[in-house]
Amino acid sequence: MMIESDPVAPPYPVIDLSALTLRRGARTVLADLCLQVGPGEIYALLGGNGAGKSTTLAVLLGFLAPDSGTARVAGVDPASAPDQARRKIAYLPESVALYDQLTAHENIAYFMALAGSEPGPDIIDAALDAAGLQSEARTRRVGGYSKGMRQKVAIAMAVLREVPVLLLDEPTSGLDPRATADFNALLGRLKARGTAILMVTHDLLGAADCADRIGFLAGGRIVEEVRPAEGIDVMALHHRYGEVAAA
Amino acid sequence: MSPIRLMAANDWRLMARSRVAQLALLMLLALAAVAALTAIAHRDHSNDLRARFQAQADQDFDGQPARHPHRMVHYGHFVFRPLPALAGFDPGVDAFTGSTIFLEGHRQNSANFGDVRQSSLLARFGQLSPAFVLQVLAPLVLIFIGFGLIAAERERGTLRLLRVHGRSAGEVLRGKLLALAGIAAVLLLPACLALAWLTVSAQAEPVAAVLLTIGYAGYLGLWVTGVVTVSALTRSARGALMALLGLWAVTTILVPRIGSDVALRMAPLPTRLETDIAIQRDLHRIGDSHNPDDPHFAAFKAGLLARYKVSRVEDLPLNYRGLVAMEGERLTAGLFDRYAEAQFARQRRQAEVVNGLALLSPAVAVRSLSMALAGTDLEGHRRFLRQAEAYRYTIVQGLNRLQAEAVTYVDDGNRNSDPEAARRVRIDPRHWHDVPDFTYRSAGLGERIRAAAPGAAVLAVWLVLAAGALGLAARRLGRDL
Repeated sequence: MMIESDPVAPPYPVIDLSALTLRRGARTVLADLCLQVGPGEIYALLGGNGAGKSTTLAVLLGFLAPDSGTARVAGVDPASAPDQARRKIAYLPESVALYDQLTAHENIAYFMALAGSEPGPDIIDAALDAAGLQSEARTRRVGGYSKGMRQKVAIAMAVLREVPVLLLDEPTSGLDPRATADFNALLGRLKARGTAILMVTHDLLGAADCADRIGFLAGGRIVEEVRPAEGIDVMALHHRYGEVAAA
Repeated sequence: MSPIRLMAANDWRLMARSRVAQLALLMLLALAAVAALTAIAHRDHSNDLRARFQAQADQDFDGQPARHPHRMVHYGHFVFRPLPALAGFDPGVDAFTGSTIFLEGHRQNSANFGDVRQSSLLARFGQLSPAFVLQVLAPLVLIFIGFGLIAAERERGTLRLLRVHGRSAGEVLRGKLLALAGIAAVLLLPACLALAWLTVSAQAEPVAAVLLTIGYAGYLGLWVTGVVTVSALTRSARGALMALLGLWAVTTILVPRIGSDVALRMAPLPTRLETDIAIQRDLHRIGDSHNPDDPHFAAFKAGLLARYKVSRVEDLPLNYRGLVAMEGERLTAGLFDRYAEAQFARQRRQAEVVNGLALLSPAVAVRSLSMALAGTDLEGHRRFLRQAEAYRYTIVQGLNRLQAEAVTYVDDGNRNSDPEAARRVRIDPRHWHDVPDFTYRSAGLGERIRAAAPGAAVLAVWLVLAAGALGLAARRLGRDL
């Protein structure tokens, strides 16, 4: 089912963007963007290049301040209190940045310690199991990892954060189909834990598979929103996505 | 563990796994150890040698047989400047100025009027010493290890990840500062050990050693701050490396070098030949004791005859030749002193120019501070020259007085024609034994601290400026991410 406008707001939004506008020079990147994601909800944000997807994540992370409108992450304004907001966010970038000279274990332990928690090796192993990283790779330095393996380390790190918000930027790019399926299952578990998940992706089928809502972003605003659970025609959706992306 | 220490510890772990960092650190530590060992050994060896030569010279002088006192004036005497204890840390200008002077009558020898150009001395790389390693090479190692501390993190995306994990730009900068400061402390360690050794084995003043350590810690701290600041302000690691290498080359090599040329132009020193010619010209002006018509010595002679109420020099109770020698020495020594002080004044002017350039180069500031505290700066050398000249004047005038008092005018005049007179003018050699040995008195600690103060002040200014730049970098880093 497609929703032209008036997206249904979830109860108690953990991610709350309201009339968000952001300009870069003469260009309006986000235009009155409204988006709410509730606890235990997965929202997939789709759009063509330059639609404003990554900018939306940058605003939520406090890296960009909007010109008008408000953003809230678990009640915190990332523009005025970025460090506080970031403590409530786990973020999985499209291009996973890790220290090549460290092992997967060491990378995770370090970033978790920076975030204020110190999971033991067993807990890290469990998270890497859940992310699907082979155990024999875990003691190797990540400099020799493939993109998919690095992605899995970052996923494990996001899982371990146990924060109310998970932001994903093209999370399945670089993952093979099996790993993608594992990843979607993992998202399901996080969702069950009550995590609000905002996923930026080009992968329509993946989004349809795991998201509660899919929003099409064009010209800096959500132009359409669908709920896969209510039954969707994937081919029609694909066609529509193509139109939106080209707009 | 605090996030700052955590980030620093992670950087140390990354450095420990980086071959470049390992190699740079190990090479510098090896170099620093070699520098400390060779500088201390060189200092000890030089001092042993100088003490031995001084003893030999004293023995040779004391062991002269009965002679005419004026022969002893021309026999002369060597004096040697012992190296201060901290020369084992910073030999300063010793290698360029020399440490020996031959003292004789009517002349002021050696370095006083040599081609000592203070400016070129400061610019020239000295021997391998802990001071040289810290001044020139340690900053280079800090650059190679630290240029990517923030810039490389930005390039690979981990900087954003640090921020995403809740760490502020200020925390990231402090973590990086701590990481590089740890490396700087390791680089400082061999020098600290060398200073401790010199304090224990050569009785160097502990206060001077501590002040040197603080001075160099400040200097390396400045480089640590500079490296982290540039790394934070530069978009790429490569750009940071290029910028820092440029900064190092300009402040450590170029400015001191240009400084010497500027100082030379602003306060040129005459060559030794020019000085000698000028002195000879002035000597003829002030009086020639061999010229019977010389107005000064004619007046001197008339004054003596009047004072002793006699009409001929032969009737004087003292040997007129000895008295003339004393007067001649008094005149020439005054002239030498005037030229020496003029030379020192020009050297000081050059030093002022070079120290002014310390505002452009902290390496110049720390070099000046280091040499002053170690007692190996040009002022120390001038101190030696003054003491040597005072000693020369004392022994020459003592010998001239012996000629005036112990040798008669008649014997002195007949010594080449009358063998008995020649025997009588050769006075008892115990007189040579009575001449006191030369003892160099180095500058006291207070004096050296005062001499080091300008360098310390300039370093402090640099540190304040660097802290300001770091604050700017923190704000920009916070904005960028």
